[in-house]
Amino acid sequence: MSFFYFSSPATFYRLAGSLAPGFFALALVAGLAGLYVGFAVAPTDAQQGEVYRVIFIHVPAAWMSMFIYFVMACYAAMALTFNSRMAAMLARALAPTGAMFTFVALWTGAFWGRPTWGTYWVWDARLTSELVLLFLYLGFIALAKAFEDPRRGDRAASLLAIIGVVNLPIIYFSVQWWNTLHQGSSVSLRGTSMHVAMLWGMLLVAFAFWMYAIAASLNRARTLILERERRTRWVRDLR
Amino acid sequence: MNDPQFYLWMAYGATAAALLAEMAWLRVARARALRAVNEERALEAQD
Repeated sequence: MSFFYFSSPATFYRLAGSLAPGFFALALVAGLAGLYVGFAVAPTDAQQGEVYRVIFIHVPAAWMSMFIYFVMACYAAMALTFNSRMAAMLARALAPTGAMFTFVALWTGAFWGRPTWGTYWVWDARLTSELVLLFLYLGFIALAKAFEDPRRGDRAASLLAIIGVVNLPIIYFSVQWWNTLHQGSSVSLRGTSMHVAMLWGMLLVAFAFWMYAIAASLNRARTLILERERRTRWVRDLR
Repeated sequence: MNDPQFYLWMAYGATAAALLAEMAWLRVARARALRAVNEERALEAQD
């Protein structure tokens, strides 16, 4: 099997169709488990009280917003380098889910910030760079749809996705580079300062979001394939 | 507005709404794409 075997839309369409339901099921199970741990097992925070439980969706959504953008930019680079239609379609398929998670991270952050900081929003480096990420996603989606020829839209949007990668380290390191209101990382590869139940609740929801993002993107990629390939013989022969 | 329930509901409720909206959008987009494929089939059958 060659490296480019799955870059055929016909092959990918069938593969995605068989994988997506499994990823949705994993997302549902992990999500419910994460919510159970987050609300029934994890203790109340000594300083923030019950409202800290927003972090069980806020932090995973913020992680996914950056991770999805990185994966999208990788597909965009592949689309430009190898002139791969499938890579461009996958980049397009990821963008709305990434934008949704970015919005969720900003929104839930606002509803965590109000009772803990006293404000829904502040032009802090972390919050502002996350907002820029949302605009990058929206710009990518708009640019991809701005051309009558979808391949030209793919190229323009891919270029924007690659340039926008520079924002990811800015988001991640913003709490170290600038004196921000947003707290530093509580979780890193070296360890965590959180209670183990809080950490597990967050990791389970992060896994659920990850599985959901894969499932949603596979579904959207299938729709994009149908739209673009509807005049081909293999699509017309689909049952 | 200092009730933690309000902030939790607003955060979790909006997240659930965003996820459900995206899933509904996926279904609508797929139905539209399948309709376009069927139209192509109908055109081909006419020829």
